Amino acid sequence: MTVLECRGIAKRFDSVQAVAGASFEARPGRIHAVVGENGAGKSTLLKIAAGLLSADEGQVLLDDRELSPHTPREALRRGVAMVQQHFALVEAFTALENVVLGAEPKRSLGRLDVAKARDRVLGIARDLGADLPLDAPVSSLGVGDRQRVEIARALFRDADVIILDEPTSVLAPQEADALYLALRRLAERGRTIVVVTHKLDEVRAYADAVTAMRRGRIAYREEKTAGKDLDIEAAADAIMGDDKPPPVVRPARELGERVLSASKLILGRALAGIDLEVRQREIVGVAGVEGNGQRELVEVLAGLVHTDSGEVRLEGGVASVVHEDRHEQGLVLDASVRDNLVLGELGRFTHFGVLDAGRMEAVARERLERGGVRPPELDLTARALSGGNQQKVVLARAVSRRASLLVLAHPTRGVDLGAARVIHAQVLEAASEGAGVLVVSADLSELRTLCDRILVLRRGRFVATFEPTASDASIGAAMLGGQA
Amino acid sequence: MASSFRHAWRTDALAVTAALAIAWIVFDLAVWGYGEAPLEVARLLWGGTWGTAYGAGQVLFKATPLLLTGAAVEVGLRAGLFNIGAEGQLTVASLAVGVLAAHLGGVPAVLGVPVVLAAALAAGGAWAAVPAWLRVRFGAHEVVSTIMMNRIADALVAWLLASGLALRGSLRTADAVPGARLPRLDVLVPAFRGSAVSFALVVAALGAAGMAWAARRTRIGREIALVGGNARACEAERIPVRRRLAQAFILSGALAGLASAGTVLGYKGYFEVGLGAGAGFGGLAVALLGRSRLVGLVLAALFFGTLQQGGLAINAHVPREVMDVLEGVVILAVALADVRMRNSTPPAARETPPPRPPSSLCKEGGA
Repeated sequence: MTVLECRGIAKRFDSVQAVAGASFEARPGRIHAVVGENGAGKSTLLKIAAGLLSADEGQVLLDDRELSPHTPREALRRGVAMVQQHFALVEAFTALENVVLGAEPKRSLGRLDVAKARDRVLGIARDLGADLPLDAPVSSLGVGDRQRVEIARALFRDADVIILDEPTSVLAPQEADALYLALRRLAERGRTIVVVTHKLDEVRAYADAVTAMRRGRIAYREEKTAGKDLDIEAAADAIMGDDKPPPVVRPARELGERVLSASKLILGRALAGIDLEVRQREIVGVAGVEGNGQRELVEVLAGLVHTDSGEVRLEGGVASVVHEDRHEQGLVLDASVRDNLVLGELGRFTHFGVLDAGRMEAVARERLERGGVRPPELDLTARALSGGNQQKVVLARAVSRRASLLVLAHPTRGVDLGAARVIHAQVLEAASEGAGVLVVSADLSELRTLCDRILVLRRGRFVATFEPTASDASIGAAMLGGQA
Repeated sequence: MASSFRHAWRTDALAVTAALAIAWIVFDLAVWGYGEAPLEVARLLWGGTWGTAYGAGQVLFKATPLLLTGAAVEVGLRAGLFNIGAEGQLTVASLAVGVLAAHLGGVPAVLGVPVVLAAALAAGGAWAAVPAWLRVRFGAHEVVSTIMMNRIADALVAWLLASGLALRGSLRTADAVPGARLPRLDVLVPAFRGSAVSFALVVAALGAAGMAWAARRTRIGREIALVGGNARACEAERIPVRRRLAQAFILSGALAGLASAGTVLGYKGYFEVGLGAGAGFGGLAVALLGRSRLVGLVLAALFFGTLQQGGLAINAHVPREVMDVLEGVVILAVALADVRMRNSTPPAARETPPPRPPSSLCKEGGA
């Protein structure tokens, strides 16, 4: 039974004020949701609450007593545990071993008390309402089970306050439901649950209290009272503040020939029969809960992975692709912006194996200017650019290829608003110049801004098609399988 | 593995200066430990190397194979490969060149020299092709496989010499024919008389310069560096990653093999067991100190050449092994300086930026 309180927390990274004087309280027996856009400061605030980050100002109080020293070890000792977005499990160990790792019950001479460990973990699994495969190596478990192992780890250490960072971003809808059921049971047993999320549907369905953050500050706060639901619309307004999404300006485009037709694509358990058509000048959006086949679909269209069955017919043979992770698959960070802008195209500038540096320079400069990269310096390394400008480089390269199909995975993820606008303008321009575009995004407002139609991907299959004017709620319902 | 894109000049200069300063301190301590006066020994060292034309010639002679093996290791580093196998590649090439050069009959030098140099490239490249294949086909780590290949090269060469390639009763090949030998440089610069520096120095300079040019101005060279920087991104953009890796490896081996020009063709005129040994490992030091620049490679080769020759000059006062210690100290210090620089990169320029509110993401991070 621990009350968690953050008082006047401020935290600055370099010149960026991530949290700017935020206060927050979470009480036992309730599920508290903390919502906000990417970069609103919600994860930072709660990492400070769990002792993982230090605060520049403010205090973290547990039952009115300050958390001191401000370390994760002390926070855990005082009963606060955080389940991170990226799990920290030892793949080769069993679920049981992972749960007890670092807090093993011991017999004399330091021998591990396996029986006692197992008993306690079984009890915890019962509390979670889950059938955990205790003796299976974690490497064989799915994400839902891995997450339960993480939560069991926290419970095994007697955590009273459990903070989860975006726990459902990797879960299928039914797993998300199961997770919230388990969290509800824990709350009913007097624990304090804090969930960081950007999904308002979940908040509506499961939370007892909501705190909305915007630009490092608390923008809205509400607790559920008997007979009255949380006002999710008010929270949504607070999250967006004055930056209401701009009006959708999509120049009318005459759709042309078919550039992509894929039928019955099947790939392992990821793609379960994808049918898809994209035409010239058409922008098609793909929405869905992360992990429902988006990544695989993009890799198949990029030609990096072959499907088990099905057929992809692509006008011109090769799609131009912006992958999900620009650092992993988009850029050579230590190479110059010049090299990155023409990555993979050196053959165009080569005579008998020798580069024509002048032509390469001209093409790179043209792309640099068209893409609005700041600062406009070809000699800088890609690493020296901000995230938004790195993405502009990747996008400028992809758009300039003039491929008949442009595939964009999360084109503005982690990118600031200014850069996002530049990127959106380029996508629209590419489409009006004749490219067919497929946009995969977790950001429904982005899809509405860009797309002519929005497909919902669920469990490796398109389950619904929407007009860009459709509401968040109806698209969300399709993403979750109809029971939002 | 760190890619070998260049750092800023200032960063490199700092790292090298720090390494040399530490080496100087260690040198002082070692000499002092032997009861000698450091400045006096340093004066001797200078006198025995750059102080006379003969000494300078000897330094150049020692630097010749180091420059090529340094360039060889550098090619690998650019692709993200750590070619520890220059030693074995050089050994195998030396044997091939020694045997071939002895059997060319009365060819004129205009024909014989290119032929033996081509053989050196081919033999070194072929020996490197084995770990290259193991790497791209099976993912076998090149550090392990090249170390093994070094041992195999030693054993294979000794066995081949013993079973017929050597002159009877010896462990050396027959003398190279005149048309396959590289003349001493004293035919051009009489002051070098007596020193072993030969036209192999020209070969080495051309080899290293050619490598540096190709790395910048050819598609393969540039793509090798890009693959070394981020193979996944290159793959996504349809650069033939595995082919570039294999090419870098084989090129690296070829350059290491070319180093046999300085020992077999320019110095002894035949190959014997142990000739040129150590130059392959020396190449690692040269590449690390050379900081991915042609000028750096040249200076580093000259520096280590000076240490090797200098060791002989001071041997009467201080054991020449002290120079080997210095070599190790320099490598360690450069490696440490590298890590230090990397850790002191401003966080904004690192890979994962901290979460930022949308409003302030626009500014140019890290520049």
